[in-house]
Amino acid sequence: MMNRAIVMIRLALRSLRRQARRSVLTAAAMIVGGALLMISLPLGDGTHEDWIDSAVRMGSGHIAIQAPGYQASRKIEDRLSDSARRAAEAALEAPGLREHIVTVKPQLAVGGLASSPTGARPAQIVGVDPVAEAAFSILDEKVVEGRYLEPGDRLAAYVGTGLAEGLELRLGSRLVLTAQDADGEIAGQLVRVVGIFRTGIPEIDQSLIHIPLSTAGSWLGSREDVTTIAVLVSSSRRVPRIRRALQRELASEIEAGSVTVMGWREAMPELDAAVKIDDLGNYMFQGILFGIIAMGIVNTVLMSVMYRKREFGLLQALGLTPRQTGGLVMIEGLILTTLSGIIGISLGLFITWFFWRDGLDFSFAWEEDWTFSGVVMDPVVIPYFRIARVIQGLVFIFIIGVLASLYPAFRATRIDVAEAMKFER
Amino acid sequence: MSNRDSAAVRTEDVWKIFEQEAEEIQAVRGVTLTIEPGEFVAMAGPSGSGKTTLLNLIGGLTRPTRGGVWVADRDLTRMSNRELARLRLEKVGFIFQAYNLLPVLTAIENAEFPLLLQGVNGGERRRRVMDLFEQTGLAGLEDRRPGKLSGGQQQRVAVIRAVVAEPALVLADEPTANLDSAASDRLLDMMEELNRHLTTTFIFATHDPRVMERARRLIRLVDGAVESDERREPEPER
Repeated sequence: MMNRAIVMIRLALRSLRRQARRSVLTAAAMIVGGALLMISLPLGDGTHEDWIDSAVRMGSGHIAIQAPGYQASRKIEDRLSDSARRAAEAALEAPGLREHIVTVKPQLAVGGLASSPTGARPAQIVGVDPVAEAAFSILDEKVVEGRYLEPGDRLAAYVGTGLAEGLELRLGSRLVLTAQDADGEIAGQLVRVVGIFRTGIPEIDQSLIHIPLSTAGSWLGSREDVTTIAVLVSSSRRVPRIRRALQRELASEIEAGSVTVMGWREAMPELDAAVKIDDLGNYMFQGILFGIIAMGIVNTVLMSVMYRKREFGLLQALGLTPRQTGGLVMIEGLILTTLSGIIGISLGLFITWFFWRDGLDFSFAWEEDWTFSGVVMDPVVIPYFRIARVIQGLVFIFIIGVLASLYPAFRATRIDVAEAMKFER
Repeated sequence: MSNRDSAAVRTEDVWKIFEQEAEEIQAVRGVTLTIEPGEFVAMAGPSGSGKTTLLNLIGGLTRPTRGGVWVADRDLTRMSNRELARLRLEKVGFIFQAYNLLPVLTAIENAEFPLLLQGVNGGERRRRVMDLFEQTGLAGLEDRRPGKLSGGQQQRVAVIRAVVAEPALVLADEPTANLDSAASDRLLDMMEELNRHLTTTFIFATHDPRVMERARRLIRLVDGAVESDERREPEPER
């Protein structure tokens, strides 16, 4: 059995070599396909990483530790208690977790109203630790006037350009923030604009206000409580594992209903959907591309089967079964597609790594910031290499090889040996 | 055991009917034959007389429309494709008129192919094939591809391949049709020699008078039926 398999592999290799031109043409299509796959996948993953990084930094991190009802209510009464916060901070320091965590930021976020002598606007008011926030978020880099919050600031506010324009605020302008406090009462707080930012994301620029966490705590009566502890980890791919580890560490708090640990996909469902839709689009494009390549392979292999009817007839006369003859065609198709796929994948990885490992700049294609779902798209896409993608690419190409060889192999099994061996003068 | 049970080949009222554009073509019509082990038989007849079809029926390359075919006492009509392939590998050697060799293999690889499929080890394969190459004057041509061999040399390689696994039966379809008389004689000498030494049964489909002259039994076919069955000498010893 083994012996026969070796014979068939040897025959397949010889046949491929004998039909060198045809083999090279078929292989070329697969090599191009494999290369495109390995260029598009890391660039696509890099784009997604960029989106995720941008969104998690502006939002609630890769992992958000909150009170169970907060995600839905966004109300101060659904904040983390002081003990829950301490338990969460201790869990983040646990061995095995600490090394994967880049930074952490506490936030107290409430919906409220921002008023100036000009008028009032709904606002997302976030109490932050200026140092932790600056290390975590990119908002401090988006300053267009003034500065970001600093330790020691008390009645300072960092507002978006949209809100500043709407309320005619300038540096030093005073505004009153109104929101429901920890006791359910409406409370007001006077703050002064120390900085104005512009992210390019309208919904953020028109509503977000950062104030010091201590100011928010005393204004809303929540002392040192927070609504979210946002965690930034080294890679979005590690989120599920780290999240599970955190859930284990906080098992008793989770069971008591005082804490929930969410990944970015749950905390930012619109971003999750955007990544999935983009992935789906990429897969569809790759499916179409490889569908076309597969049709080319089917055509070439089928032509080869038709051309070699006598050879297959002879093999059956010598003792191969029809199924083994089909198997020979399958082996040829698989060797051709797999080898060329491996070359294509290597070529794609090489091109991506050699030319674009520091990023592929698409800024020529758009002049202004592209934003969606609270994400600012960076025009420089840095490819993200993952071994899983290489394996995925190889498996994909192997499947294409199997599918593309199936019909020609089936045709080879149907060869009428007597007819194939008929001598025509 | 009766004679019938130990025959090399037996056909009983075998028919092969092809349908071509709603027309029925009776390629083989009710042929009943018994061929004993070690016979050297020529089936002769004009083109379209059904000799190749009968050969294909005996080799299990095509199935009869009705009737029976037995090779080495095995009923081919009851065998699966897999079993037929096994039978061909172990019991039957084929020589065709042309395109006999696998173009991707060298002469020696072509010749040893059945042994390779049977799982015979490399040393034994080479020994058996090289003996036959020596005997048939092909020594020195082992590593040539078919394209680098003359028609006669290719046919000799095909004969070696047909007999190397020592099958009970060799079926040769017009093996000399594309050869000049010298090459034909050499090939026939070789096959006669092998027939004598190995007691392999040879059945030819031919309209070559040189083959008919050498055959010890001549079966004439006309329009798919046996017209005459003439033995030239006593049956070989059993």
